Amino acid sequence: MIIHEYQAKKIFKKFGIRVPEGLVAYTPNEAKISAEKINKNGPWIVKAQIQSDSRFGGRFSDKRAGNKGGIRLSKTIDDVYSNADDMLENMLITNQTGAKGRLVSRVYVEEYIKSCKKYYLGIAIDRVKASVMLFASTVFDVDKAYFINVLEENPEEIFKLNIGTNRKITTAQANELLNFMKSNASTEEIKDFTNRLLNVFYEYDASLLEINPIGIDKEGKIWVIDAKICFDPNALHKHKDIQVMADEAEIEEREFIASKYGFQYKELNSGIGIIVNGDGLAINTMNEAKYLGMDTACFLNLKGGVDRDKIAASLKLIMTNPKVDGIFINILGGFLRCNLIADGIITVANDLGLNIPLVVRFEGTNKDEATEILEKSGLALLIAEDTQNGLYMIKKAIEEDL
Amino acid sequence: MSILIDKKTKVLVQGITGAQASFHIQRAMKYGTKVVAGVVPNKREDFHLGVPLFETVKEAVEKTKATVSVVFVPAKSAKKAIIEAIDAELDIVVVITSGISIADMMEIRQRLLKSKTILIGPNTPGVITPSEAYLGIFPDSFQKAGNIGIISRSSTLTYEVVWELNKIGIGQSTIVGLGDDFIVGTGYGEIIEKFNNDEKTDVIILIGGIDGNYELDLAYKYAGLDNKKKFIALMVDDPTALSRFDGIASEIICNGIIETYKKREVFKNAGITIVDSIQALKYELLK
Repeated sequence: MIIHEYQAKKIFKKFGIRVPEGLVAYTPNEAKISAEKINKNGPWIVKAQIQSDSRFGGRFSDKRAGNKGGIRLSKTIDDVYSNADDMLENMLITNQTGAKGRLVSRVYVEEYIKSCKKYYLGIAIDRVKASVMLFASTVFDVDKAYFINVLEENPEEIFKLNIGTNRKITTAQANELLNFMKSNASTEEIKDFTNRLLNVFYEYDASLLEINPIGIDKEGKIWVIDAKICFDPNALHKHKDIQVMADEAEIEEREFIASKYGFQYKELNSGIGIIVNGDGLAINTMNEAKYLGMDTACFLNLKGGVDRDKIAASLKLIMTNPKVDGIFINILGGFLRCNLIADGIITVANDLGLNIPLVVRFEGTNKDEATEILEKSGLALLIAEDTQNGLYMIKKAIEEDL
Repeated sequence: MSILIDKKTKVLVQGITGAQASFHIQRAMKYGTKVVAGVVPNKREDFHLGVPLFETVKEAVEKTKATVSVVFVPAKSAKKAIIEAIDAELDIVVVITSGISIADMMEIRQRLLKSKTILIGPNTPGVITPSEAYLGIFPDSFQKAGNIGIISRSSTLTYEVVWELNKIGIGQSTIVGLGDDFIVGTGYGEIIEKFNNDEKTDVIILIGGIDGNYELDLAYKYAGLDNKKKFIALMVDDPTALSRFDGIASEIICNGIIETYKKREVFKNAGITIVDSIQALKYELLK
């Protein structure tokens, strides 16, 4: 789970980290009032609050917003108003949002911190080493693809420090970081700043924390200019205050419903809808479909333990997606028992009716029981032997259905 | 010979009285797995599924000489159970549980640094030596013994591969599911080495996960082995990898590799044959 910049900054402030004064605004008028409250003379920064990197380089779908991005320097109160007016209720498109972009429902108005030297600072987890890693870079405010290129081609521009599961960096490590940054900040300042960030990281079970960028002013004070925190979904139950920050508008509706049931749902093109019980199986089924000339509209990964009602709800999601013209349920039961899926199919078929072709393939735990349930149901569905066979069947059924 | 387990391996099950554990352990016992003990803190009975119950792993090991554990304990209390098993110096701990937090897994991995225990999982189907025994939740149809060793990061894709191989008469020596979670256990190096030294295994297959760099680690380990057996990696391209940027952002900045073509290069350099579909894998094995 990810939260908005202004929410992350609120957390930082609580942990004693220096963030510029800022207020959230939902209308241009609110933005104007906020700016006046923050600072009488400006300048200010108006920032679109969507959960995406590279908002600065983004563009809006509605032309009234001009060619400027989602983060704008505003010298006068009138600029604050008009920039907020441009952004609000407009779709901001970045390289992470897809072509449609994301609706900007609020902006963050913030005091502008003058003449800062900027850096990328990140805390992440290396899966293979099972360690917390600290990153710093002189390359900031760029998208991930560019960042990867820098990692590969100019590794000297990125500082990497393995801090294991320590909750604090040492003075020596702080000096290493400072040497890399060639900054006027003091060792104490950089150490204190980093340790407070680590405190946030551990306290909230974050999986990624990025400040892109931090700014160091002439006096050597460190500021959080932008902020992003991702949280470990498996630890969210411990953090009720973070859970309530989830922004439903940031997630596609069907994806959101699926996530409530603990499933993974993804929309792609139009074509078949695939229901599977594992990531690897999803990818393999989509690829095999491609070999047969079929596109995938969406896939739903049921993962492990499910019950009949959850299966029925997930089937409904796919059946009501207008881009789906046939469904292939491909289940390889280990932990998951096939008969539960069969029960779910019958529940939803009775509820919604079965109006598009459906092919089911079961293998593994309780397969025979499941097949029997479906055969006895008298539903107009087809039962396949394996993935390829199932895909052939759904292809043929769709062609006949059209 | 087989690697990791056979029908003589003495198995204890942590959290054996839960509904899921009961269902799957009963199947495993029917299959041939020698389950000698169950561990349940605050047990209310002395036996479950005909197996004696103990309150601690230590006691179970002392009384039954169990050498491996299967963990079915729910995510919130799994860390304690896993660390208990590591402290009891078991050879292998297989964690079926999914949903364990990253912080808990980092702590567990720290413990493993000072231990000889191999941790498999979490969120894994487990380990199986076909027609002998399994630790985990495999389908009953995994029956065909043979000369292929499988290491996998994806449980369902493993089921699919085994199903397809069995159809053409190719059996397996041992199948190891490494687990699907963000952080999983250790022991890849050892598992690769064990497969390479196992006289029953002629070919090693890796079924790659679609994200992550664990496979790269395996490739480096394999590159350093002597008398290498044939190693085939099934790597399926993922059309949705980039759309899931946020979930793996950590991965990207830590290792910089998410695209399969970059993984392919590392694999090729290690002497691993890469295939991109199960059909191609079958063809490579029959060749």
